Amino acid sequence: MFQGTLIYGFVNSVTLALIALGFNLTFGISGVANFAYGALYILAAYTAWILLTWLKINYFLSIVLAVIFTSFIGGLIYRFILLRVRGMPISEVIASFGIGLAILEFFRFLGFVGSEYTLPVFIDGSVSLGGTYIDVQRLLIVGIGIALVIFLWLFTHYTKTGLAFRGMAQEERTALILGINSDKMATLSLAFGSGLAGVAAITILPLGQVAIEGGYSALLNALAVCIVGGLGSTVGVLVAAVLIGFAQTFTATYIGSHWMMIVSLVAILVILIFKPSGLFGKQKELEERI
Amino acid sequence: MKRVILSSFVLLAFLICFPIGSHAQLKPGDPIIIGVPTFLGSIEGGESLKCVLMAAEEINAKGGVTIKGAKHPIKIEASEIRDGAPGVPVPEALLGIEKIILDKKVHAIVVGPFRSEALMATMDLLAKYKVPMLGTIAMSPASEAKIIENPEKYKYVFRTCLTSRYFVNLLTGVMDQLNKEFGFKKAYLMNQDVLWARGTTAGLKGWYEKSGWEVTGHDEFPTGASDFSSALMKAKAKDAQLLFTCFDMPQSGILVKQYKSIKVPGLMAGFISPMAGEVAWKSFDGQIGGLMNAIFELGNIPSAKYPPAQAFYDAYKKKYKDPLQSGHGPAPSYESVYVLKEAIERAGTVEADTLVKALEQTDRAGVMGRVKFDKGHQVVYGTDPAKEAVAAMFQWSEAGERRIVYPTAIAEKKIWAPEWVLKSKK
Repeated sequence: MFQGTLIYGFVNSVTLALIALGFNLTFGISGVANFAYGALYILAAYTAWILLTWLKINYFLSIVLAVIFTSFIGGLIYRFILLRVRGMPISEVIASFGIGLAILEFFRFLGFVGSEYTLPVFIDGSVSLGGTYIDVQRLLIVGIGIALVIFLWLFTHYTKTGLAFRGMAQEERTALILGINSDKMATLSLAFGSGLAGVAAITILPLGQVAIEGGYSALLNALAVCIVGGLGSTVGVLVAAVLIGFAQTFTATYIGSHWMMIVSLVAILVILIFKPSGLFGKQKELEERI
Repeated sequence: MKRVILSSFVLLAFLICFPIGSHAQLKPGDPIIIGVPTFLGSIEGGESLKCVLMAAEEINAKGGVTIKGAKHPIKIEASEIRDGAPGVPVPEALLGIEKIILDKKVHAIVVGPFRSEALMATMDLLAKYKVPMLGTIAMSPASEAKIIENPEKYKYVFRTCLTSRYFVNLLTGVMDQLNKEFGFKKAYLMNQDVLWARGTTAGLKGWYEKSGWEVTGHDEFPTGASDFSSALMKAKAKDAQLLFTCFDMPQSGILVKQYKSIKVPGLMAGFISPMAGEVAWKSFDGQIGGLMNAIFELGNIPSAKYPPAQAFYDAYKKKYKDPLQSGHGPAPSYESVYVLKEAIERAGTVEADTLVKALEQTDRAGVMGRVKFDKGHQVVYGTDPAKEAVAAMFQWSEAGERRIVYPTAIAEKKIWAPEWVLKSKK
């Protein structure tokens, strides 16, 4: 059972990292805490389901279109709403949370409730890893998660847009002096982050069901990982995902499943008390306060 | 002038003391207003409302409810109270129920709260405004105890759906059969951390202990949990022959997929709400063969052995072009409208106290079996639809069919265990 816990703990860690990457990327570049993130995660899944089930479009094309659509919506949210309140953190949070609520509850209003909202797994079946059975889809989550991290590193180090993202993340005013359009980059960061939420959704949700409540838990998980790791730090996200992922799985196995959900909340609490900027956070002013 | 002021105060005091008393007097043709405040966003709540509307349409098509020779149509007023959604506090649900009572001036309520926690709090509200309610979703038997303890105050609350107590009766019957057929004696319990599921699992756990079964483990999951792998690994490590499940959240559907992929060599039986409807086979890629799932009220699943249930199921499918998905709520919701209609006709009024007495006399052959209330205003559930209302356990076949396997009076097939489960037990 210990071996199984290690394997499932690792998968859980990658799942958490996958969920948090998009939220972290947007915050790291534009400084916007996108509280509509969970809703965009679910939007991508419902879009894929609609394309696949109602419009009978090929599954992989549906996935691509759903991710593009979610990115587009993310960009629109910044361009038409968040741009107006940028630089006012509380307003950003309220506005984005409100948009998220509206998206999720709109799906409920439209009747997207029930057991038929499921996405097919990419490859069916399970394999044995040293006697522990695990579905192929979980292995794909691990593969896609690792591939995404490598892609993001390459993108931000070797492409013009990626370098502009890093410039924005390091010092927005200096980036402006160098001719980087900060509004355009912020829009792109929202679109990019939303697209990553979409990738996470269509990779993770085939293991379960597309449900409105999933949007709230995705946001909570993304927040927990980013706060513990340090908002805006990719290394922090990865380390926090591993810590929380293993802690959740070990808690569920050796203490009790009903304690699993509070692991991330306890982690947030502990980190806010002892190191409010997070394990790898760069907001030093937060630390100076304590 | 003094007299006018005094009279106004007396009138105001009267209106405060008897806020909705006057609407109990109906003129010929006035509608009978039935409120449906529930968690409409849930599949159980949404389908229950559809069934209430279906029953009301059928009754109205035949002229409506007859009170002292005059016909009255039924008018349905629905309201979303979201009490089953994570994080929604009970007081918010109560506000929704109070609003529908005061604004829509309902004569009675059907369906009612989704969560038992909300039902318990609603009972005082119903007593305050004297509005009879026939609950069809919340399942905790704690409300019956409250009615028996103080019948004068809480007499307005009735329930037509199954309760945790009766669900345990159904489960123990199934467990006995599994023991006889396959010699199963080791169970692992998994339930959602909500009042009705905790009560059901605790009741079953007590029965297991008394009946010589070994409970190899027990895990509770908060609403919204979607990773069950740790509990499944424990069940596998402890060689459980049976995995008992008790969940009503949409995310619980993943449990069966995870159970199959981890290859836990035990039979899964209990209640997982997304597995109840016939669409589950397609939704879960045909990977649910062998799963035993409860249907809380007959009618939510068709039965060739009990024609009223079959007729109701088919009528719903024909009207809404889709089969029922939920195993809990729709049939008793439909039935409740007819129970109410007959009680109003017996009482000859919609006045609450008289109507409650008429409701207590209910005895009809309904879509989920015979409908009669006990002292706790709970419909009596048993194993024969000719004698009592009935809940059922069905099993998914490998061909994607739902076949009732318990109780024996309506069983269509014997319980079977998949080959890979039997192989591991040899």
